[in-house]
Amino acid sequence: MTQAVHRQPLGLRVLSSGFLIFWCIVAAFPIFWITVMSFKSPVDAFDGNAANVIFGPATLAAGKGISILDILVYLALAIWMFRRIARMLPDMVLSYSPQGRQWLGWLIGAAVTGLVVVVTFFALLPAVLNVLNPLVGPLGRDVWGFTTEHYQTVWVDRGFFRNFQNSLIVTLGVVTVSLTVGTLAGYGLARSGSTLAFWILIIALVFRALPHSVLVAGYLPVFINSAEILRPILGDAAPTLYGKPVAVIAVLVAINQPFTIWMLRSFFQNIPAELDEAARVDGCNHFQAFRRVIMPVMWPGVITTGLFSFLLAYNDFLVTSLLLDAQNQTMVPAIAGMFNRETTTTDQVVAVAAAVSITAPLFILVMVFQRQIVSGLTAGAVKG
Amino acid sequence: MKLKTIALAGTMSLMSSVAFAECAYENTVPLKSLSAGFEAWKVVTDAMAECGNFEASLDQEFREKQPEAFAADPALYQIGGVANGTMVPLQNAGTIRPLDDLVAKYGQNLTPNQLIKVDGKVMAVAMMVNAQHLMYREDILTDLGLDVPGTYADVLAAAAKIKEAGVVDYPIGGTFKTGWNLGQEFINLFLGEGGEFFGEGNLPSINNEKGLAALEVMKALTEYMDPEYLVSDSTYVQQQFQQGKIAMSNLWASRAAAMNDEAESQVVGKVKMAGAPMGSAFPATTIWWDGIVLAANQTDEQAEAAFQVALEGMDEEVVKANNDTSIWLIPGYVPGELAAGAAASAGAGAKPYPSSVPFGILHTALGNGLADYLTGAKDAATTLADIEAAYVTAAKEAGVVE
Amino acid sequence: MKFKTFAVFVGPSVLMMLLFIAFPLVSVFIQSFKITQPVYETVQMETCTPGFLTQTCVTEEKSVPVLDEAGEIVTQTEWVGLQSYINVLEPERAWAALSAGDWRAFQSIDFWKALRFTLTFTFITLPLVLGTGLAIALVINNAARRVKGPVIFISLLPFIITPVIGALSINWLFRGDGILTATMERMLDRDIALFAQAWTIEILMMVYRVWHVAPFAAIVFYAGLQTVSSDSLESALIDGASRWQRLKYIVIPHLMPLIVFVGMIHLMDTYRVFEEIVGFSSQGHVISLQWLTYDFLQPDQSGNRSISRASASAMLTMVGIVLLLIPPLKRTWRDHRGSH
Repeated sequence: MTQAVHRQPLGLRVLSSGFLIFWCIVAAFPIFWITVMSFKSPVDAFDGNAANVIFGPATLAAGKGISILDILVYLALAIWMFRRIARMLPDMVLSYSPQGRQWLGWLIGAAVTGLVVVVTFFALLPAVLNVLNPLVGPLGRDVWGFTTEHYQTVWVDRGFFRNFQNSLIVTLGVVTVSLTVGTLAGYGLARSGSTLAFWILIIALVFRALPHSVLVAGYLPVFINSAEILRPILGDAAPTLYGKPVAVIAVLVAINQPFTIWMLRSFFQNIPAELDEAARVDGCNHFQAFRRVIMPVMWPGVITTGLFSFLLAYNDFLVTSLLLDAQNQTMVPAIAGMFNRETTTTDQVVAVAAAVSITAPLFILVMVFQRQIVSGLTAGAVKG
Repeated sequence: MKLKTIALAGTMSLMSSVAFAECAYENTVPLKSLSAGFEAWKVVTDAMAECGNFEASLDQEFREKQPEAFAADPALYQIGGVANGTMVPLQNAGTIRPLDDLVAKYGQNLTPNQLIKVDGKVMAVAMMVNAQHLMYREDILTDLGLDVPGTYADVLAAAAKIKEAGVVDYPIGGTFKTGWNLGQEFINLFLGEGGEFFGEGNLPSINNEKGLAALEVMKALTEYMDPEYLVSDSTYVQQQFQQGKIAMSNLWASRAAAMNDEAESQVVGKVKMAGAPMGSAFPATTIWWDGIVLAANQTDEQAEAAFQVALEGMDEEVVKANNDTSIWLIPGYVPGELAAGAAASAGAGAKPYPSSVPFGILHTALGNGLADYLTGAKDAATTLADIEAAYVTAAKEAGVVE
Repeated sequence: MKFKTFAVFVGPSVLMMLLFIAFPLVSVFIQSFKITQPVYETVQMETCTPGFLTQTCVTEEKSVPVLDEAGEIVTQTEWVGLQSYINVLEPERAWAALSAGDWRAFQSIDFWKALRFTLTFTFITLPLVLGTGLAIALVINNAARRVKGPVIFISLLPFIITPVIGALSINWLFRGDGILTATMERMLDRDIALFAQAWTIEILMMVYRVWHVAPFAAIVFYAGLQTVSSDSLESALIDGASRWQRLKYIVIPHLMPLIVFVGMIHLMDTYRVFEEIVGFSSQGHVISLQWLTYDFLQPDQSGNRSISRASASAMLTMVGIVLLLIPPLKRTWRDHRGSH
């Protein structure tokens, strides 16, 4: 492409970057703000004055603050670690992960990095600084209200880790099953020109438009009594589905199928049919052709679709809150529960901390898969 | 710098959760409970869990799950936490069992006041009561030379003075959030006027001068409230109190302790409790109880174990350790300053919340219909007529009205 | 592809949809034409409940359901035809209000109130989402190579954040003396209560929805922009087309399928708007169709729920969505015909 297409007048460039900056602020501000709130005492967190929320005078007065030394050490270490990670991680991932499965390497790399960061920042540094602070005089005096006690309440006292595990089980289950079932169906639909295929797609689209609350309320009595209902078929092994993650996974996969098959069908349509036809001329049947020829090239589309499934399962509230009991509860209903209880202001800040925590895995996920999302979409997962 | 090591604390909490402390015996029958999730239930179920083999679900959807889960055979939960209203569907469906035998066998420490009786049979054991009553900023009323309001006329007069003095943002706070809260406020005021909600055959009788009087008081109160009153629930009003933005409110007794919580309140020691303001006949409030029931669909052995575990959760030790968490009915409770409001309301003749199938429907119709009057979309009489019509439609569908 | 092979590929997916979507849907459809209710009898009953110190016992007449020998509630089911639909639509009242030209009275009927808001919400946010999404995509595409990664990351944040939590954080920012309201108050030097009247809540809800969905549109459009042929752009430049003309005649037509795709997804999602109503607790001022269904289904204190009216309102919602989808579906049908 020649430079001419790119050349732009100054006014347009200023306007364009101005809008970009404005949008970035708008996009990030609410998340930034609840993160700030989560580190303050209840009085500061809900103060009407922005400066009080940021600097946290009441938090500081309660003896929870950090000193200039703390800030400097943390900042320096954060910058140093960021640089190290940015330089070393890609190389390590590339050299250690198996060919063609680099996203797996990235995922493991990100998890390990996350762990190292958490341990250093929350375990090692505080211990070191506790010793150092009294030694450096005024620099060691607390100046900025800051407390991680709410995170501790969430993860330690409230057992949020169990909710995290449950979320992980449900989400991974949904993504795996949804993609397996959806990929097959998407491929089948893309390669079949029959009117039946068309109508399946249309009906799926209508299903996607259904209000979920209608469907979900119908599940509850059936799932609670499933042992009785299924006894004639399965005998005494009939399970009570209510409260089981498996049941929620099945429901979420079903609810998510319409979107999945539409995305994947468009994607497969953009893979030339000549590819698998050639394989079939060589004597493969449809399934062999799918495995040998299509599977190696389908990952960009599958990963993009998988991300949407992930978001749906991870963020779901309606289905999980109704069909899981407390022992298997996932994170979103757990947080909503913290608000709906006869809450105190402290509970609310704790819930804010939980809300920030639940966003962190999404952050990592998007960082890792950002490029795949765009390339998957570009490769045609959304050709309408 | 007081960041504790999360990793270390994590292992500590794992260790402490398997310890069996303070329970007089070890429970061997696996038990589960389903209840609402507020603080008192947390305290009680934690104490039950110390007996072992017990899992508590503190679930915000318990209202929806409980009838189904108790109707299953065997029931999915052995112990249920209920209140006036939520016991009705279980009682009607016959999915909870009479407790007379168990009370005779194990209930020596229960007071007669705790036993919820339906037709002479003990169906539930109550642990606490809750009621809305007046909370006020003593310092503000004293400064302005005002007496503690005893009626809603007094409340409005005091509010006018406070507004004039301009010492707080809004003189009155109210739990007027559309839905359950708003319906509850009308019920308080209507009962305070001495109204009867139903006539013959479960037909509603709120569209009368008592209903209109209740609406007028509501409208008058909103003049002194935060204009966002239709989204204010009890947590929000409590927060406004804590931040010193309001001076008076008819708020739940269970919220009283938060006013003196130094970690979040800026008005520690300034908020005092009084009885609910009087309507023309009764105090404008209702008395609620919370307690436990046992599922009918479980073996007698399970029920026996469940009852013992439940009593362990509601014993004297638990109450002594958590005296101010709620207004306990359990022996050992010392009513302090915070309970004064509920006691005064009860003394003045406050009525229990009149739970029944038709009343549940009416409460919903009120909660959804009243906002139109407060926003000015409808006049008082039309609002009440529309609510009655909505009630009749729903009641016909439910089968309680011919 | 043979039918058998096709069935094996598509089977599992179709089976799951049948089991968990189609089957409940059919039962909802049937429910909407009948009413199932317990048989009640009136009995004298004494109930004792705790007071503060002593018990209060009252004896009164109560309606209680009849139980059979097995301890189950006796129910009766009645086919009522369109009665539940009439209960939801209240056609007589609606017609009376309309013929009297009384818009306010018309809007006091729940269903029409919900429909009005749902449609306004859908059709106002649709162009906003598409426009904002396109604008963001264009400026990201225009940005320097080095900042593209971080900018895409930040742009995606509102989309990935858990909706319940997103709505709550907006709530904290604007409710009462929330930080943004307080800042606005200080700037304008007047009291602002954004949750006190319907129109401000509606605007907040729309802003929230655009904030939440525009990133999805943006990322899809951005992906589309990567495939705009540079040849046609260049030749347009040589023909002297202005920047605006190039956008209008080359870029947007190229993105058209994507715009339709995003628009269709957005139509479906906004038509069932629900989270905003709960998150902003706006039910005192505005309600939506899905919220209405949800409210019918929510059991009250005493466990009653209006299943029949909920089913009817759900079916009506579905009819609405099918009507909205007809134009894009027609296009899909033509494509299908054309391609095979």
